[in-house]
Amino acid sequence: MTVGLNAFILVAALLFAIGLFGVILRKNTLVIYMSLELMLNAVNLALVAFSRYNGTMDGNLFVFFIITVAAAEVALGLAIIVALFRLRQTVMVDQLTSLSR
Amino acid sequence: MTATQSLLAVLLTPLLSAVLIAFFFRRMGKVASAISVLAAACIFVFSLFAIREAGNETVAFSWNWLHFGDYSVSIGFLFDGVAATMLTMVGLVGFLIHVFSLGYMANDQGRARFFGGLSIFMFSMLGIVLADNLIMIFIFWELVGFSSYMLIGHYLDTDEAAAASKKAFIVNRVGDLGFLIGIVYAYWHFGTTNLSEMHGIVAANSQWVSGSIATLLMCGFIGKSAQFPLHVWLPDAMAGPTPVSALIHAATMVAAGVYFLIRIDFLFPVEVLQLIAWLGTSVAVYAGFCAYGQNDIKKILAYSTLSQLGYMSAAFGLGYPGIALFHLITHAFFKALLFLTAGSVIHGCHHEQDIFKMGGLLKKMPITAITFLIGTLALCGVYGFAGFYSKDAILIAAGLGNTPVFVLLTLGAFLTAGYMGRLFWVAFLGQPKSDAASHAHESPLNILVPLIVLAVLSLGGGWIGFWPEQLGAIIKDNLDHLHHMEGYAGMHKTVLAAGSTAWIVGLMLSLFFYGAGAKEDRLEQKAAPIYGFLKARLWFDEIYGYYVAKIQQRLAIFLSFIDIFVIKGIFVRGSAGLVGLVGICSRSLHDGNIHSYVYWFLAGLLALWAAASGIL
Repeated sequence: MTVGLNAFILVAALLFAIGLFGVILRKNTLVIYMSLELMLNAVNLALVAFSRYNGTMDGNLFVFFIITVAAAEVALGLAIIVALFRLRQTVMVDQLTSLSR
Repeated sequence: MTATQSLLAVLLTPLLSAVLIAFFFRRMGKVASAISVLAAACIFVFSLFAIREAGNETVAFSWNWLHFGDYSVSIGFLFDGVAATMLTMVGLVGFLIHVFSLGYMANDQGRARFFGGLSIFMFSMLGIVLADNLIMIFIFWELVGFSSYMLIGHYLDTDEAAAASKKAFIVNRVGDLGFLIGIVYAYWHFGTTNLSEMHGIVAANSQWVSGSIATLLMCGFIGKSAQFPLHVWLPDAMAGPTPVSALIHAATMVAAGVYFLIRIDFLFPVEVLQLIAWLGTSVAVYAGFCAYGQNDIKKILAYSTLSQLGYMSAAFGLGYPGIALFHLITHAFFKALLFLTAGSVIHGCHHEQDIFKMGGLLKKMPITAITFLIGTLALCGVYGFAGFYSKDAILIAAGLGNTPVFVLLTLGAFLTAGYMGRLFWVAFLGQPKSDAASHAHESPLNILVPLIVLAVLSLGGGWIGFWPEQLGAIIKDNLDHLHHMEGYAGMHKTVLAAGSTAWIVGLMLSLFFYGAGAKEDRLEQKAAPIYGFLKARLWFDEIYGYYVAKIQQRLAIFLSFIDIFVIKGIFVRGSAGLVGLVGICSRSLHDGNIHSYVYWFLAGLLALWAAASGIL
């Protein structure tokens, strides 16, 4: 049996929603970061599924690029979080509000 | 020394003196007064040099001062017969008053300031006398106003002097506004403000005479010479020291208005001359009445000055600028004499100025009293005295030209004799009526000598045949013209009879009515309403006070309201406030909480989507 397109889209949408709610509701920067990655990969999944469905390589090509860029971005982002923790001894967003002043 | 150099020396000596006093001798009264008197003497000597060098020629000299594009302002001298006559008078009277001030101001704290003021005044006054164009006249005109302001307010710790100096300055500003507009108009009309050039244009074609220019320039004269309706400042100006009243507010500055008219007489059409004649006549009579309501010796003389200025402008308005100049000169002699003798009296009576508190001064201060009497007789126009010749000429001119003016001016002569008689009989005869008067003493020599010299001039200053040849050519011309007019002989007799009757009756009536050395004003006792009316001076001050306080002040308050609430409140503060409000609102979005940024991001995304899909 082959899995239909709808199932892929559903999974991708679920993943995206989980990522979104994670970003909105969680307080830990690291978790928010992971949720962001989840949303990114939900998009990747949707792109691959559409690529397969359409029988072209356009989506796959995009996904390759996104994975590469995301790898670099993760390295940078984690480095920033580590630096932030060293500076403020916390990574909880409700304590990182110095922009309000 | 050429004439031009002498004139420059005349003009710059007092300026130098003023500068020296202002910068180096502010605290040294003796040095300052010596410098100032020396400068005054130099002015007189240099004037004589200039007149001798110039001979009967007109010295015209000018150099460029400022350039604005193709327009240039020049300053220069126009030294003709009129200017020479005026210069001699200002130099002579000015010098005598400086000498008088040495004695009068000997114990004054602000002596250096006073003499510095006199010097700056002499500088400005001589500038007016010599100026060859309207702009230069205006500059010196304002300088004269400034020095007048400074000297009226000499006793700066009294409210009266402060108020009077402010009043003089502000009232003069009203007239000067017209003057300034007149200058601009004259430049636009003639393309020049130079007196000789304008004279040339008008002489070539009398179509160029403009009534509006003449009227506007006349406004300056009305302010400076204290004519209707700007006469209110002159009586108040008596708050200044007496030499100042003599020099500025009797002999020279107030006469500068008349002198200015004489300088520009070619600009005046007949209608404006008529207006001036009537203005002068009304002031002559009005001030004559006002003088009866005053008890202050200087205020009586101030109203007398107003009245005599009225005579001058009447003479000018009748078309005889030379006779106006004649009266200006003789008036300067006898009115300076009267003020200086009044100063001597005030000095002798320890600063008592009320004539009803004097009395008996003839015995205590004989020289002062006799010189005062000479001044009075000259002012009343007694035959042979200086005032007689000029006043008679004015009356004859009026009699031949304009009968109502003649009648009013004769009435004015009668009034003059009356109030001067009142002043003399009450203040100098009888018994002393106060401690100050009973301790009166004759003044020192440096006060008496100027009085005697001026008394001689008041006696003989009108014998125009004995004047130096260079002086008074215009006066002689005008008198000649008058002599050859039809009906001169008859009118001469009439005027002689009327004028003599006026002064004899005036002096006698005042003697019988007030009585020698009277203690109280009999008019005030017998006819209080009439006295009150005369004292009220037609309520001019009250009307102006009402106008300024109730009308102008309200307009000012209204404008200030507009300024504060509309311009400042709504436009300036309002726009700034609006921008600030936007800033505060958008700043509140920045709460530093990353989650709210996410919500805003989502909201923005939704809005973008809605806009892109056409819902919004």
